[in-house]
Amino acid sequence: MTSLDITFLATGAVTIAAALLAVTTRQLVHSALWLVLSLGGLAGCYLVLGAELVALVQVLVYVGAVVVLVIFALMLTRAPIGPSAEHSTSRLHRALAAVLGAGVSALLLAVLLPLAGREAVARTPVDSSALAGDLFGTWVWPFEAISLLLLSALIGAFSVSRLAGGQTGGPS
Amino acid sequence: MIHLALPYAVAAALIGIGTYGVLARRNAVLVLIGIELMLAGAGLLLITAGAVGGDRWHGGNILTLFVITIAAAEVVLALAVIVAVFRRRDSIDISVTSAAPAHPEGHV
Amino acid sequence: MTAPHLLALALLVLAAGAPAVLAAGLASRRVASGLAQVVALAAAGLGVASLWGAHGAYALPVLRTTDPATPAELTLFPARIATGPVVVTIAATVLLVVLAVQVFAGWYLHDDDRQPAFAATVSLFAAAMLLLVVSRDLILTLIGWEVMGWCSYLLIGHWSRKGSARRAAYKAFLVTRLADAAFVIGIVALIALAGSSDLEQVLGASSDLSRVTSSVAGACPDTGSCLGPNTALINLAMTALVIGVLGKSAQIPFQDWLIDAMEGPTPASALIHAATMVAAGTWVLTALHPVLFEAPVALWVLAVATAATMIYAAFTAFFQTDVKRILAWSTISQVAVMLSPLAVAATVDDGSAAAAGHLFSHAIFKALLFLTVGWLAVLAGSTAARDLDGIGADSTFAKAVWGLGLISLAGVPLTVGGISKEHVIDVAAWIGGDGPGLRQGIVTVALLVTVAMTAAYATRAYEIVAGRRGAPTPQAQATAAEHGHRDAGPLVKGTLALLALATLAGGLVFLVGPLDPGHVSVGLLALSVLLIGTGVVVGWYLRPDDSLPPARLMTLASNGFGADTAYLKVVAVPVLALARLAAFVDREVVETYVRAPGWIAALTGRGADWSHAKERVSTDLVWVVLGLLAVAGVALWG
Repeated sequence: MTSLDITFLATGAVTIAAALLAVTTRQLVHSALWLVLSLGGLAGCYLVLGAELVALVQVLVYVGAVVVLVIFALMLTRAPIGPSAEHSTSRLHRALAAVLGAGVSALLLAVLLPLAGREAVARTPVDSSALAGDLFGTWVWPFEAISLLLLSALIGAFSVSRLAGGQTGGPS
Repeated sequence: MIHLALPYAVAAALIGIGTYGVLARRNAVLVLIGIELMLAGAGLLLITAGAVGGDRWHGGNILTLFVITIAAAEVVLALAVIVAVFRRRDSIDISVTSAAPAHPEGHV
Repeated sequence: MTAPHLLALALLVLAAGAPAVLAAGLASRRVASGLAQVVALAAAGLGVASLWGAHGAYALPVLRTTDPATPAELTLFPARIATGPVVVTIAATVLLVVLAVQVFAGWYLHDDDRQPAFAATVSLFAAAMLLLVVSRDLILTLIGWEVMGWCSYLLIGHWSRKGSARRAAYKAFLVTRLADAAFVIGIVALIALAGSSDLEQVLGASSDLSRVTSSVAGACPDTGSCLGPNTALINLAMTALVIGVLGKSAQIPFQDWLIDAMEGPTPASALIHAATMVAAGTWVLTALHPVLFEAPVALWVLAVATAATMIYAAFTAFFQTDVKRILAWSTISQVAVMLSPLAVAATVDDGSAAAAGHLFSHAIFKALLFLTVGWLAVLAGSTAARDLDGIGADSTFAKAVWGLGLISLAGVPLTVGGISKEHVIDVAAWIGGDGPGLRQGIVTVALLVTVAMTAAYATRAYEIVAGRRGAPTPQAQATAAEHGHRDAGPLVKGTLALLALATLAGGLVFLVGPLDPGHVSVGLLALSVLLIGTGVVVGWYLRPDDSLPPARLMTLASNGFGADTAYLKVVAVPVLALARLAAFVDREVVETYVRAPGWIAALTGRGADWSHAKERVSTDLVWVVLGLLAVAGVALWG
């Protein structure tokens, strides 16, 4: 066990615990908040792994934007405040889901653990300026494509909400 | 120095938990949360690979950035759809049986 | 111009005349009628001119579909038309009869609004018959044959506003069509046999048969196996052909359509009976007589059918209550007489000559009789015997033409009918042959009986017209008054007179012309004179009184002894039942195969619909993940 291992264990435990709570809690808003914690923990994991920039972006985008959007959506869909069993499926269904989730994890572990090896490896520190150089050098075209994707997602979201509202004149 | 088994285990666990969230939730927004967790697991895998592989163009880090960005776009669209569905059906419960207007006898 | 060219030109004139007359009818009925007569006159002129033309052959260019130089296995085209002495004589006769009919129809259908259509159809009909007469190719024969069938349908149904005329037309069409199926089979079999539709090759193939089979007999392990199929095929082809001829010539068992065809206008009857459709079968068999000669089965069928028909028809004719029907039955009887020598002749030439001779004389006297009865019927307003009673008593002309026609029909010696009939009897009795067999015996006896019976009904027919016994019915008087007692003009009477003259002088054609008068046997001649005398006496004393209501036998005979009902029961009902069965099978069995995919698709769709209606997204997601897991598992460790 190295110090990095211990740090990672801590952040990973937080991440996984928060994730578990996010998918099991009976309160909608709590679920979103646990997601915040889980993603924050993940940002910690990134930091431990030496990816500072990504960790910051993770906090910025996920915690700052995505989760806010999720909470907005919950509010727009008149999410009930307080615990409710109706957010989850039946017990049998959940059991099946748990089995399948465990199956997915097991499958991934079965693939990944042999790759990990038993020895500890040195992490490669990431220089942010080198990263930026690569991002706007080697990866500039994917980067531009991503910006186009964001633009089209924006327009798409706008038109989807306009479309549905115009057709039905729904309750909201 | 770090043991890679840990981040791999965390990533696998996140993906498994995300799968469970997708399967066990009825509210569409909560399903989306499950998907976010799965994406997070994928990001962690990328970062881990980048951290120890010393890849030449920082692919692990940059691809994670892309994944985060794409996830943001996906969340925007998904939430727009969810809101639109809510306006039309007054519910975003995905476990109700879908309506089949063409065959009234199939309407359960 | 050689004779074939002239006749081909006549063919063209008649065929092109039909649409021209129809078009002229749009302008004026009078113009159309005149044009039709001019067309017929032109064609008749060409026909008469061809009598002097040289004999030869002419390939109709219109049917040339392949380069004749290209060797083909089945050399169908170009089809040949050709003439010989007999052919031009018959062709000229046909064209003259057509001319007489057109002239007569111009007067007879004077006030008919569909006269142009009638004249055009007659023109087309004549073209078809002419084609059949001059054809030296089975395909051309078939074309003429079928076009005539169609035209006869149109002519019989000319007064199609009358239900009975429509039914008669349908009946004629269906009955002849039924027989035509056999005819087509026969033609096809002959073509297959010869490998060509050309008549010379067909005849050659059949005559080659015996020679070839005898020459290769040594090569065959079993002579029968070499000989068998071809004679069987010839028998089959000719029997089918004979059945077709029996249908078109209204022989037993197809006789009844011709009687119903009396619903058509009288000129149409004259045309159909005298020189064209009914006699066409005789001509086809005459042309194919060498092949027919090789087919004993066909000969037997023909002999039995004609022998039965001639007696039956002559008997039935005597008891008709309608003069036109007497003539119709007499046609059936006389066509049987015409066909019989083909069935029993000792040599090929004998049979053909006798049949062609009777075809010629029958054309003349039957045209005369029909046109006369058409004229008299217009005066009387009806063709019923009681209405025609004594219609010609005051007119020497009427008595003369009617009487001459009937004398010729009865076969009194030296008239045209008498000469050809004697020839037929001679051929049947095998004078100069090796001696008659059973087939010849049957036919000869039937012919002799027919001679007496023909004389009897001819006597009755003469008495109806010439002797007066009662007053016509008021209804007939009304019809006659409506027509304003429109008597025929000199043109029509002249036509009748010429035809009457032809019945007397036509015999000269046998003496100077190409038609063979046969070997007249004094004994047979005396016998038939005796029989004719007996028939006249019997007919005179037994003739029914037409002013009284008809006796039961007459009613029966007028209905053709229930042949129509028999047709319905024996043919129509089973055919309809079969059709219903076929429709049922088609609908319930065959279509089931077609519908089954539809049902399956519909069921699948409904099932999918049903399962989707039950579907929940959460459940589906489980399936998706399960599937992904399975795929990943298989990909990793499978």
